[in-house]
Amino acid sequence: MSKLIIAGREFHSRLLIGTGKFASCELMAEAIERSGTEIVTVALRRVDIENENDDILSAIDRNHYLLLPNTSGARDADEAVRLAKLARAATGINWLKLEVTPDPYYLLPDPVETLKAAEILVKDNFVVLPYINADPILAKKLEDAGTATVMPLASPIGSNQGLKTRAALEIIIEQANVPVVVDAGLGLPSHAADAMEIGADAVLVNTAIATAADPPEMAEAFKLAVEAGRMAFESGMPSISKRASASSPLTGFLRET
Amino acid sequence: MTNFGNNNSSIKTILAEKGLDSNGKYLRKQLDKICTNDVEKALSAPVGTYNFNKLLALISPAAEDYLEQMAQLAHQLTIQRFGPTIRLYAPLYLSNYCSNSCCYCGFNKDNKSERTRLTIDQALAEADIIASEGFRDILLVSSEDRQFISVDYLVELAGKLRGKFASISIEIYQLSCDEYARLFKAGIEGVTLYQETYDREAYRYYHPSGPKSDYDNRLRTPENIASAGMREVGLGVLLGLTDWRVEALALAEHAHYLIKRYWQSHVSFSFPRLRPAPEVGSSQFKHLLCDKNLVQMITALRLCFADAGLVLSTRERAQLRDHLVKLGITKFSAGSKTNPGGYSGRCKATEQFEIDDNRNPAQVAAMIRQQGFEPVWKDWDIAFIK
Amino acid sequence: MEVLKINGKEKQFPDGIPKTLVELLKLLDINQATVVAEVNGKIIERQNFSQTQLRNGQKIELVRFVGGG
Repeated sequence: MSKLIIAGREFHSRLLIGTGKFASCELMAEAIERSGTEIVTVALRRVDIENENDDILSAIDRNHYLLLPNTSGARDADEAVRLAKLARAATGINWLKLEVTPDPYYLLPDPVETLKAAEILVKDNFVVLPYINADPILAKKLEDAGTATVMPLASPIGSNQGLKTRAALEIIIEQANVPVVVDAGLGLPSHAADAMEIGADAVLVNTAIATAADPPEMAEAFKLAVEAGRMAFESGMPSISKRASASSPLTGFLRET
Repeated sequence: MTNFGNNNSSIKTILAEKGLDSNGKYLRKQLDKICTNDVEKALSAPVGTYNFNKLLALISPAAEDYLEQMAQLAHQLTIQRFGPTIRLYAPLYLSNYCSNSCCYCGFNKDNKSERTRLTIDQALAEADIIASEGFRDILLVSSEDRQFISVDYLVELAGKLRGKFASISIEIYQLSCDEYARLFKAGIEGVTLYQETYDREAYRYYHPSGPKSDYDNRLRTPENIASAGMREVGLGVLLGLTDWRVEALALAEHAHYLIKRYWQSHVSFSFPRLRPAPEVGSSQFKHLLCDKNLVQMITALRLCFADAGLVLSTRERAQLRDHLVKLGITKFSAGSKTNPGGYSGRCKATEQFEIDDNRNPAQVAAMIRQQGFEPVWKDWDIAFIK
Repeated sequence: MEVLKINGKEKQFPDGIPKTLVELLKLLDINQATVVAEVNGKIIERQNFSQTQLRNGQKIELVRFVGGG
């Protein structure tokens, strides 16, 4: 299986893991390990002054995993840029999942603010991985702006509905010159395999693993599904027979001469 | 689709890596190895999407037994994407003075040809005749005559034609990106530029001197066209110079390269097939294609590029053109004159090549309608955005 | 009474505000190694925490990583 290359850096695993919604840091750490992932997303939030929580960073070994801060909570480009700078100050790395979600119901990403923020952040030397709806034109515009990937959603965050945006994802995959990471809405390992089979370069999974009855076990299931889907894709998908319904012959004239 | 890795190679590298810029011996062997299973697999692949191996199978000798099926699929796909329509355009030759000596061309500077070039007013007079036939889509053609048919000349001509023609394209010698950008601003929206042959050695042989003799410069130019913002980029090879199957593969790679990098430009393919011209005998050329080959190339490209324009000129004889209406072609020229001043007949300049469909535009339009297609004279209007 | 606005909430300091950012974090029992700080909209690099002097009425944002998708 070929390696995933993002911004010139190679990865073996094509499964990215989100760290939200886990019942505990221990479960999260174990799930991360069982998933075989190399990229882990985290969010930035205000420290709760009154209560001391578990510090998530202590559960993620930064020697093994690339930390990918996201800008969740940002509702416009300015907020996203601000969060991005805070994240960079915190970690010293410039990789960023750009997430601008003004809608608190479906957490759908704002295309206009995302593009605006991406342009600013790319100029400021961030490696930007933008989360977007499955909009092929937006994906091309972000690529033109210099983002390292595009991350179109399969279905709304946490909905576990699988590839609802399948047709658009196929177009994005066909047209992209950067890796395509299908992010959000992958509820079952078979959804992840499906995304890989249609040619996605990677997937990001959070809710399905974090809220499973046995998160570490589910993490491994996703790992296997992503590998299987990618292997199938690279080995060449089998053909589905199509018969053209002949009306009248179109090439008969070639035999007349 | 993905190459399982980032691919930022130039088109020059891509062609070299795939053996598409050399004599094609290796590819010829690959093509001969293609068997019926490979062709059937290619036909079952998602229709209209490009993949090198898919085209390799469709363009192979083995696929000749599947022409009818390819034709049916190409026909259905073209109707789905374009409707039953054929766009019509006319070429306006501005000059046949040339600094190149391309072996196959009637305008070769070493040929004893009647040379002429049109002033702006003369060009406008020709354009009036073209417009009176119903055309609203015009292609300005010129030989390598930089001094006279300059960028300034074209900017002025385009400005004066804009009122009469909804779409103005050009097919002339290579320009720089900035020059194309100037022309785009002046109202020219498309550029056709044939590589003629992607085989470097053949290219050197057929283009011994003049600015066009630089293969790499020629190869780079479609990118200049697209990055200057031109809406339409027309590609093509002169079929018959070398092995057409290998050329079809190179052409497809070039198109795919442009489509991925310049997603806002629309790519078209033309199929100029070597035809007799004054002082250009067909005995010198060993790779001429028969009609069956041409049909295979047209349908194979359609099955790999669902939305590409497929353009056929009046080089081809009438009966063949009629049959090709239903095989994926989307654009026809009609009533063409390939010599400057040819429409008004005011001078006897040499033609670039002989026409073989001598019907006038109204007759061609009638034939198109007879086949259940609609002739489209105009499908864009600058008034939409200005 | 001196105050600081911390994470959107005003906090009063009857004994006077801490002199530096490091002292504030110690007072609040926050691990400075994992926190990011903004003072009046300006991000403070971690190595500068001890040199960053605080003034009455400043807006302080203290942010850390948490789980997220």
